[in-house]
Amino acid sequence: MCDITKEQVYDAISNVIDPEVGFNLVEMGLIYDAIIDDVCNVKVVMTLSTRGCPLHQMLTQWVKDAVETRVPGVKNVEVEVVWEPEWNISMADDNVKKALGAL
Amino acid sequence: MFSVSKDYAPPFGMIAPFFVIGSIFFFLGTLFLLMLDPSRGHFDPLIAGWVHWFLLGFVMMIIFGAMAQLIPVVVEVGHHSVDLYYVIWPLLLVGTLAMVAGFWAWPAVLPYGGLLVLTAMLIYLYDTLMTLRKVQNVTLTVKTAVAANLFLTTGIVVGFVMTLAIGAGVDVDISWWLGTHAVLVLGGYVVLTIMGLSLILLPMFGLAHGFDERPVERAFNLMLGGVLLHLFSTLIGFDFGRFAAIFVMIAAIGLYLWQVYLIYNVRARKENDIWARSMFFGYGSLVVAVLLAIPAAIFGSEKLILASGWFLILGFVTFLITGHLYKIIPFLVWFERYSPLVGKQRVPMLQEMYPKGMADMEFAFSATGVVVAGLGILFGLRDLYYGGVILLIVGAGFLLASVKWMLSFGKTETE
Repeated sequence: MCDITKEQVYDAISNVIDPEVGFNLVEMGLIYDAIIDDVCNVKVVMTLSTRGCPLHQMLTQWVKDAVETRVPGVKNVEVEVVWEPEWNISMADDNVKKALGAL
Repeated sequence: MFSVSKDYAPPFGMIAPFFVIGSIFFFLGTLFLLMLDPSRGHFDPLIAGWVHWFLLGFVMMIIFGAMAQLIPVVVEVGHHSVDLYYVIWPLLLVGTLAMVAGFWAWPAVLPYGGLLVLTAMLIYLYDTLMTLRKVQNVTLTVKTAVAANLFLTTGIVVGFVMTLAIGAGVDVDISWWLGTHAVLVLGGYVVLTIMGLSLILLPMFGLAHGFDERPVERAFNLMLGGVLLHLFSTLIGFDFGRFAAIFVMIAAIGLYLWQVYLIYNVRARKENDIWARSMFFGYGSLVVAVLLAIPAAIFGSEKLILASGWFLILGFVTFLITGHLYKIIPFLVWFERYSPLVGKQRVPMLQEMYPKGMADMEFAFSATGVVVAGLGILFGLRDLYYGGVILLIVGAGFLLASVKWMLSFGKTETE
């Protein structure tokens, strides 16, 4: 049985910051789920704010690296980028909305 | 340890020359505006030379540099042969200089310059089309890229034949073909490319989602139809077809502007940074250009044609390019110098990597200059035109300084 929690995974990913907007991916609402199996393999389900994002490859790599290096006991980390549901600003935290002028 | 995948990213050293050369051409291009007299009309060799200086040396140079980076991320496949970009900018640079020399002083040089430019374009086209062949998800942006590049090639071939007429005495009616050359390059390539790219870039930077894309799809089809109608009407000598094509293209631009409004309405990011302000001014200029183009097409007034062209090139195309430079250059510099440091030390945000004060000055002087000089052209007031050009020169100086500042950001710190 694995004792890694979703909170640990989300905490690790909250260190990954999108350099374009200056917020971390968790508060942007880009992380949809973190699935942890019995042997501590982690699958992060995430999206991006736009399909043509030039940081696509880097952001997914940073998420993978962040979980691998910051969550003790993690085995394999897989990052899946999905486009459904499509991200929109309502998924972001209030501080992000306020800073961007959307609140 | 953080690692970075760079599969799609061309080397910084390969792209930087496009932006440096483009910015220098922009600055010198504004200086050369002082040599021009708008009352002499658009067939004047001085004006023709300036248009080629500006469109090839600034607009095309920057578009090609941006495309080296944007094509792979937009279509999600790597370049067919990205190393070709190392030869594109020298060919385009020398070709442009030779062409302008041909227009301004030595007509015999014109075909050689045209041939070099044509070669640069064909190399760019080869890489772009071979890259697009690998794409499985054929989006509207991909379709516009294919159509735009085919129009560019046709437009450049038409232009090359015209250089042979001027420089080598080949029997071609330049006045008949000039309009089609301009339609193919400006409408068929520059405007179509901007349409396709803005469908990616405006929502990306404005964080806009869930908007209706039908207006831009119709705009694309209309622009395609308009450019083809103009081309075939020219080939068969059908004057009314050329006249109607102008209105088809104006309708396409109207629909495109409606699309931009829809994107603007749903954007989540409402801060008015230098990018957003440049977009507002650029699209505002496009509205003015279209409003002037309608009576220009009907009455054929030289002042209206030149004023419409002024707001299209100096207002719309220029501000869309300069606004995006404040996004693209910091990203390239960040990618080159800071992405390997992510996770090891604090890295700057992209919005910290452009000089806000200089950018504000660039915008203020350039925007005022475009409006003042544009009014000078429209009303035939030479002093107003030259006054506006002076403001534009100051703005271009600030842009040049800003580009240098951005390219130097973190250079010593990360070495």
